[in-house]
Amino acid sequence: MPVDANGGGGYMVAAYVVTAVILGGYALMLWRKAKRIASSE
Amino acid sequence: MTTLAKRGLAITAVGLLALAAVYVLALAYTPIERAQGLPQKIFYIHVPAAWCALLSFSLVGIASILYLWLRDPRLDLFAESAANVGLAFSLVMLTTGPLWGKPVWGTWWTWDARLTFTLFLFFLFVGYRALRSAVQDPGERARFSAVLGIFGLLLVPFVHLTVYLFRTLHPQPIVLKPSAPSLPGEMLRALLASLGAYTILMAGLLMTRYALARDEREERDAG
Repeated sequence: MPVDANGGGGYMVAAYVVTAVILGGYALMLWRKAKRIASSE
Repeated sequence: MTTLAKRGLAITAVGLLALAAVYVLALAYTPIERAQGLPQKIFYIHVPAAWCALLSFSLVGIASILYLWLRDPRLDLFAESAANVGLAFSLVMLTTGPLWGKPVWGTWWTWDARLTFTLFLFFLFVGYRALRSAVQDPGERARFSAVLGIFGLLLVPFVHLTVYLFRTLHPQPIVLKPSAPSLPGEMLRALLASLGAYTILMAGLLMTRYALARDEREERDAG
């Protein structure tokens, strides 16, 4: 079911935002964990 | 913080910067596909996420086989780290897929072979995490989870081949296939750049996750 070229932009934006949130969030979580371990050394 | 964790974080930062560059490349410098329109651009972040998820789960299986052979606890720790990283990329794959499916197929989800087995693989590794939390004895935990990790590895090629083995809505591979990639040059370059960025990010996250898990265990053993 093809969509017109101007439609579906919201889905594209949502996909890019979700990707940034998941991967950036995971990286941030590891960075905070690394800081916590470093401060307890 | 150990050198490995520092290196892992540095590679992760490079991976995130590369991913930001891919966003610019994919959104501003690739053509809008005529039939699918803007949702086609989800392809540049969905396919590499699937690649990294399957690669991570394969690493879990390989490390698990090696663990059962060599009984080195570092391999168990590496398998656990790869499973966690694989789950993060799976989550990207399983959210961006429906966000592409809705405007293009007209549905968020369909229970065809590729999607169902991919979801099964995801839940298998969710189960892998649950198993590791449930078993207290380190030796037993490593052995049981290694068996599950190897089962996951066996599923990986099957997931890739489902589009050939079953009638499925999911598109067939356009790069990882016996013949040459069937994609216009600009799109192929953006996809390859994205695959590179995702792989760097995956390596960084895996290295960091493994180093931190190792540091935590050493801290626990010392205390």
